Amino acid sequence: MKQQSKFSPEQQHAETHSSQAQTGREFVTAEELLRFDAAQTTVPPQIEERLKRSTQNAAPAQPRPWWKNLFGQ
Amino acid sequence: MDNPDECVTALGSPSADWPSDDIGALYDQHSRAIFYLALRFLGDPQKAEDATHDVFLKAFRSFGNFRGDASARTWLYRIAINHCQNLNQSWHHRHVQTSADDAIWENSAAKSDSPLRVLETKELGQRIQKTLDSLSEEYRLLLLLVADGELSYEEIAALLGQTADAVRGKLHRARKTFAARFEQTA
Repeated sequence: MKQQSKFSPEQQHAETHSSQAQTGREFVTAEELLRFDAAQTTVPPQIEERLKRSTQNAAPAQPRPWWKNLFGQ
Repeated sequence: MDNPDECVTALGSPSADWPSDDIGALYDQHSRAIFYLALRFLGDPQKAEDATHDVFLKAFRSFGNFRGDASARTWLYRIAINHCQNLNQSWHHRHVQTSADDAIWENSAAKSDSPLRVLETKELGQRIQKTLDSLSEEYRLLLLLVADGELSYEEIAALLGQTADAVRGKLHRARKTFAARFEQTA
């Protein structure tokens, strides 16, 4: 016989969430933790706007002369 | 990818607002990695924002000198590391602990081989920052570059001016030190 839960769906959800919070997460190495952190990090959109303005006012560098590439200067 | 031109092809046409396709494609593909490195290396979101802008502007200005000897990612990392190190040499540098301090933690970190457990992810960023701030600059950079997952040990070694074998050895010690200090932030 299927047992009826004594909790409402909201209570059940809260309970599940709480249990997940207590369990937490495990990371085997520092890099794994940092990778997780990086994935949560959002690049502020204002950087792109600023950079677009800056690059429109700045001329790109001329290509490196062939002789500098050849002689490593 | 050895040439930034290839990422332009791979990504298709970048936003029309960019003055050059190259810089738009570079930004789309690498901005997250560069911003994250700057954020965790400098420990200040505003400084990281400025640094990310400056790094890509420098890249744009010197794009003609990029010879494709390294990947575009490695090239950008080199610009970013130089830029962030210059910023740190003002006042922050004096507050960074030396590698001699790291050695104490490496030896005392008995539990550091166990996994890093995180119960509450809400303040995780602060704990990570606190831990990274307590590491030497070398360990901090090493962990951040390895965490990126797109660089080989040889590329990381070239960025840090070391051999690949030295990087492997130091990575083990950096992990141990990070784990020991991370535990202290709980």
